[in-house]
Amino acid sequence: MADVTLAKNSTTLEKERSVAEATRAEVAGTPDPVAPALAAVSGPPLALVAGLTVWRGVRSLLAIAIFLAVWETLPRTGVVDRVFLPPFSEVLTALKDLAVSGQLWENTQASLVRSLAGFGISLALAIPLGLVLGWYKPVAEFLNPLLEVFRNTAALALLPVFVLILGLGETSKISIVVYACAWPILLNTIAGVKGVDPLLIKSARSLGLPAHRLFQKVILPAAVPTIFTGIRLAGAYSILILVAAEMVGAKAGLGFLINDSQFNFRIPDMYAGIVAISVIGLAFNALLLRLERRFSTWRTTQ
Amino acid sequence: MSDGPKTESKISIRGVTKTFGVRDANLGRRSEFTAVSEIDLEVRAGEFLTLVGPSGCGKSTLLDLVAGLTAPAAGEILLDGKPITGPGLDRGIVFQQYALFPWRTAQGNIEFGLEAKKIPKRERKERAREFLDLVGLTGFEDRYPHELSGGMRQRVAIARSLAFDPEVLLMDEPFAALDAQTRESLQEELLKIWETTGKTVIFITHGIDEAVYLGQRVAIMTSRPGRIKEIVDVEFDSRDGDLRAHPKFGEYRHHIWTRLRDEVAAAQAIEREAVGSVG
Repeated sequence: MADVTLAKNSTTLEKERSVAEATRAEVAGTPDPVAPALAAVSGPPLALVAGLTVWRGVRSLLAIAIFLAVWETLPRTGVVDRVFLPPFSEVLTALKDLAVSGQLWENTQASLVRSLAGFGISLALAIPLGLVLGWYKPVAEFLNPLLEVFRNTAALALLPVFVLILGLGETSKISIVVYACAWPILLNTIAGVKGVDPLLIKSARSLGLPAHRLFQKVILPAAVPTIFTGIRLAGAYSILILVAAEMVGAKAGLGFLINDSQFNFRIPDMYAGIVAISVIGLAFNALLLRLERRFSTWRTTQ
Repeated sequence: MSDGPKTESKISIRGVTKTFGVRDANLGRRSEFTAVSEIDLEVRAGEFLTLVGPSGCGKSTLLDLVAGLTAPAAGEILLDGKPITGPGLDRGIVFQQYALFPWRTAQGNIEFGLEAKKIPKRERKERAREFLDLVGLTGFEDRYPHELSGGMRQRVAIARSLAFDPEVLLMDEPFAALDAQTRESLQEELLKIWETTGKTVIFITHGIDEAVYLGQRVAIMTSRPGRIKEIVDVEFDSRDGDLRAHPKFGEYRHHIWTRLRDEVAAAQAIEREAVGSVG
């Protein structure tokens, strides 16, 4: 029967094909890559097209450029006191000096090690736990009130508790990051598993798939995009919480650098530390976003 | 009317009843809900049987029972003389809502059942292509379900259920969500596929035209609790040309419509009652 090819109602199939083409174009979202090239051939001069591309690139960064320009101008024109808010260029110089002296790298490294360790441990704990809780509904129902209590308790409110029990060292800092990151991952994993379309489960079950295969082949891939939303949130938390934790009794780290610079009135260094934090945060988020896109391309229209 | 087939049965449904326990919101106690009651149905090997009935009559429950997704409260279902104890690759289901895995391409979806059957990777790939060809989707193997139209998705779903070579194809209103034109062309193709593959097909529908067009026999179900009311043998001297314009088509259609009318009225009364007790 393999070699049977059937005559199709060609008009209908053609219609379906064109619908699919249209859907695909819509889904792609971004303008057709061929379109500008075609436009260049048939109408507007190439220079205009190139100009448009550059403009799109500029536009995406325009708000930031304006913000930095204001930052540069206000202290220079004396509108704000440049002792408390030095111009951006001075902050950049301070950042460069910190980089040259090795202080920047030393503190960044200390922060990154803690952040990534905490983030990694929370991934390893929260994803399996979330999968179990999402799958065994009675367990989730039983634990849910407790989870709500902890989730709504600000992680930083617990910092003194962590310090009290685990001391001022690395353990308490990494632990608080683990704690803060675990919640978004855990809750999104539970939601992801619970949210799997029951029809897909039914369809897989009808093929006689045993429970563990069903989990691996249906539940897990279906839950991945939701889990990734949690992971990305956790990525942001891992830096947010750590900086605050480093302001309490740390001897290294970007949070320490910021706080220490302020104590010693090295104001440009303080801002340099802040700029470094936001760059790291942005980079981490961008990395996770790329990973997320890669794992959930199929989700575009859902 | 048919007096039970004399040829060997592929599927024997004997005195099957299915009940569900439901919690009554008003009374706060559990009560029993009978979905289908004492169903007797013999499906011959290689037969195309359509099943019509008013909404909520337990058609899908009956399909779930044959699929082995639920167990009957009473009675038994035999496949080739052996009782059905659970789901298996000897039966394939096609759902109204396609049930394609959105993270898999058309090809990947078709390979799903082949993976369940533990067929080696190379062969899986070849077979998936073969069945994409069969349903007219050559060249669409790398498309994700969201990049396909409804009709194409259902073609993929049909290919998926055929690819692992089940003996029985269970179809639960597979064309109900499609536009009329796409539906007709898929009906035509399904018949051709059935003729070439020789599968036993149980096809649920609420469309009388569809039931008459596709089925060799049409089983009419009563309103809840579902029972088999009548089985109509559909016979045409020739299936060539526009079958729907055949005078006998209208006769069958009218006969089934008349038999169904009372059941639909009864089903609506049940629905009204249910809504009334909630409100």
